[in-house]
Amino acid sequence: MNITRRPALAALLAAPALSGVSRAQGQPLKLGVPTAMTGTWAALGAQVVRSCRLWAKTVNAEGGLLGRPVEFLFEDTQGVPANCLRKAQEMVERDRVNILLGLMASSEALAVMPKLADWNALFISSVNGAGSITAEAWVPNAFRANTSGPMGARALALWLRNSPQTNFFSLSLDYAWGRSSVETFEGLLTGIGKRSIGSVFAPVGTRDYSSFITRIRQANPQALYIALTGDDGTAFLRQAAQYRLFERMPVVTETVDMLFTRPAGDAAIGLVGGSRYSFAYDHPANNAFVARFRAEYNELPDTYDGEQWQALEVLRAAVLKAGATDTQSVVAALRDLELNSIKGPLKIRGCDGQAEQQGFVVRVARREGFPVPAPEVIATFSAAEVTPACRASNFA
Amino acid sequence: MDPLALFTLQVLNALSLSALLFFIALGLTLIFGIMRVVNFAHGAVFMLGAYCGVAVQTATGSFAASLLAAPLAGAALGLAFERSALSRLYAREHSAFLLVTFGLALALTEAIRLIWGADARQTELPALLAGIVFVMDEPFPVYRLLLIGAGGLCWLLCWLGLQRTRLGLLLRAASQNPTMTAALGNDVGRVRAMVFALACALAALGGALAAPLLSASLGLGSNVIIDAFVIVMIGGMGSFIGTVAGSLLVGFAQTFGNFYVPELALGMTYALMITVLVLRPGGLFGRPE
Amino acid sequence: MKPADPKLVLLAIALAGALGFVLPGHATTLLTEALILALFALSLDLLVGHARLTSFGHAGPWAFGAYIAAAQLLVLHIPLPLAVLVSGLATAVIAIPVGWLCVRTGGVTFAMLSLAFAQLGFAVVFKWNAVTGGSDGLAGLPRLGLPAGREVFLLFVCGVLAAAYLLAHGFVTSPLGRIVAAVRENEQRAEALGHDPRRIRLVVFVLSYFLAGVAGALYAGFAQFVSPELFFWTVSGHVLVMVVLGGAGTLVGPMLGALALFYAEHELSALTESWGLALGLLFMVVVIAAPAGLMGWLRAAMGARGR
Repeated sequence: MNITRRPALAALLAAPALSGVSRAQGQPLKLGVPTAMTGTWAALGAQVVRSCRLWAKTVNAEGGLLGRPVEFLFEDTQGVPANCLRKAQEMVERDRVNILLGLMASSEALAVMPKLADWNALFISSVNGAGSITAEAWVPNAFRANTSGPMGARALALWLRNSPQTNFFSLSLDYAWGRSSVETFEGLLTGIGKRSIGSVFAPVGTRDYSSFITRIRQANPQALYIALTGDDGTAFLRQAAQYRLFERMPVVTETVDMLFTRPAGDAAIGLVGGSRYSFAYDHPANNAFVARFRAEYNELPDTYDGEQWQALEVLRAAVLKAGATDTQSVVAALRDLELNSIKGPLKIRGCDGQAEQQGFVVRVARREGFPVPAPEVIATFSAAEVTPACRASNFA
Repeated sequence: MDPLALFTLQVLNALSLSALLFFIALGLTLIFGIMRVVNFAHGAVFMLGAYCGVAVQTATGSFAASLLAAPLAGAALGLAFERSALSRLYAREHSAFLLVTFGLALALTEAIRLIWGADARQTELPALLAGIVFVMDEPFPVYRLLLIGAGGLCWLLCWLGLQRTRLGLLLRAASQNPTMTAALGNDVGRVRAMVFALACALAALGGALAAPLLSASLGLGSNVIIDAFVIVMIGGMGSFIGTVAGSLLVGFAQTFGNFYVPELALGMTYALMITVLVLRPGGLFGRPE
Repeated sequence: MKPADPKLVLLAIALAGALGFVLPGHATTLLTEALILALFALSLDLLVGHARLTSFGHAGPWAFGAYIAAAQLLVLHIPLPLAVLVSGLATAVIAIPVGWLCVRTGGVTFAMLSLAFAQLGFAVVFKWNAVTGGSDGLAGLPRLGLPAGREVFLLFVCGVLAAAYLLAHGFVTSPLGRIVAAVRENEQRAEALGHDPRRIRLVVFVLSYFLAGVAGALYAGFAQFVSPELFFWTVSGHVLVMVVLGGAGTLVGPMLGALALFYAEHELSALTESWGLALGLLFMVVVIAAPAGLMGWLRAAMGARGR
């Protein structure tokens, strides 16, 4: 297979390759993926990795990229920025990688981005939702192929225009993503003529949500907004269901991942939210991807599987357009790049690298032919409606 | 919501959390108190218990079976580890335990990922336990009542064991003076092995009990270990009553803190520990070293 | 244990600095980080090895030093060499009240108190978004006041490490350092001789935190990024393992332990996803087979050859 692990200590003192000179055809194109393969984010990292593997297999079967086979370098960062910096640096300087993907935590992306210019490397985000990546923290060599956090909240808010509930309460975790997600959502509520009656932030590492459930009960909103993912999302859904919270109020969320809805079982039924990616989008490109994914892994692709695939397809389109793989050519090709992806028509904005794309809203329901409750698409919004203005992370 | 109902609900929430914390902390205090070992791997054993519990319940369909299997797995691991690694280190500096239990934590966490994969694992509660009771017209999960009951039962059994059995007498003696206890002809080595196995069994049982609330996931271990240490230190190392007190204190502080001042919640447990340790270095019920 | 010959140590550090001109770029970068961690481990050895105060919270001064350096670089535009010194001093200042509370206790209580302070630091930095950048941290720190080039930066780190080692060695062999050892060995006797054990331990505590703050500031300049994870107990655990692995109390041992652990983890994690399993088993084997850590092994090897 074409996945490499670096050879060990011998390579430590290997002489550096000639810089800048492109090699003859057939030389593998190395793509660097320093992501969380172990640790608390391992489940998300596993999705990123398997999507990359399938993509490499697919692309190489079709003759590679510009005639060169693609090869992924996977490194484990555990989601810690210090590790990500170290691994990314080594990939760039030792392994002559100039394309980085799949960084897990927003803090990791934010640590790496200022270094891209020095490294003459580019980064395409696939799972980072933080608004600042295409706003305050933006650098010319960074791009985002995925739906950002604000975009997910925006799609949800647009759908909520027609819902009967008028007052909302929000719950999230007390860190960057949680705070900004709730802030964005509360801002959007005002825009659709609804209001927030309060919010609460659980400290990071919370496992017992009972006091928060009680708090929500006390506030008695007509609907609940949550910005939780992974284990936190699962724990909250399960516990809240045990308190019969959802009999009192519907719950909506910024992003619906099967990662946290599946372990929640029946507790997730009825959850409505923005969707960064879902197997349920009915497009020919997506259906083909889903079929290929199922054939390979005997599972439906989840949020990060799909987002990673999309990022790679964006890369492929850019490389083909540029006819080259060096950083400056690919970066130039990425600006204003238009393509059709598994999520529909996509345009990579020149000014901040954000991919303008449709927004989807899904609902988790018991469905025919699915062993566990799964999402179904209930609304679609155009790119113009859900993408914020250039270098902005909120909606005026 | 009626203020009295709110308060009652919160008290019940706090008690259920305290019960869960008690299972983890009890094992840790046993190891601290009897063996003076800092067990970094305690959180990982808790996690193992959760995964084992879910696996057994998935395989057999019985929640009760998972509550039997998890502590057995924990005990087996504890015994194996104590005999093969820990027992070689008693004559050495305490820093040796640090390194060896840190190593166990790393190895065990990865082993769990290798066996069960990166995705979270869960099962559903049996219908009997999945229901609710109404406390002043507010729903409260039956399962949390079970947790409170289990914690209380554990407390009672342990207390009886410590006070009324020969083993309990040995444990109390060994925690106060291991050298003398050995000199009096008791096989301290055997006692240590049993204690470590028992402590791991308790941690694993805690994990299996927590699984319906939290599901079994890879972040479980590192999350609980700090809370467990805090409880043991606040209550007093090696003190049974201290662990009970510590679990209640931390459980209530977190539950009411999260409700009234969630802003300060992250630092609160640590501020609490600092306050207690500065005023009483041995913890509330322990003895300073 | 008698510390190793300082001249040899300084020579080794100088050689490491010279390696920067020979090694390929990425290897120089790795070596720089490894040496910063060696300084971090050295600072902890003063507490753990020399004063026998096991700390579970050494990430506290490390991260504090890093954030103070970040503030100086980002906001005040202070050149890095000065920023490093200021960070160390700031950390020393904050070590006085923290240390005063901690050294009243010993053993596990001391360990947990130091942990609690480090976790408090984590909580404060995590939540104080406006000032510290919150959970996302602060990126893009400029490396001011040094000529460009990683070889120069490596030399700078080596210079600081050498100075720190001399300071630590000088302290340990000084009369005050000997009193610390006396307090460690027999507190009651030392007290009877007129020394205040608490004050003595506080001195070591502050010195140890000073050096850790210096190491943290160096790290901020190196990575050009700080985030709350720097405070987390896993970092404290790591550096403690480095000290014990290397051989507590020898000053040199922990530095070697830092290098060994850093490279072992780096290489193992590249070889396999299950590096945690391999590393964990390795720890268990090493601690059982090498009671005095790496230094113990080295000494046995040198002794066997009849030095």
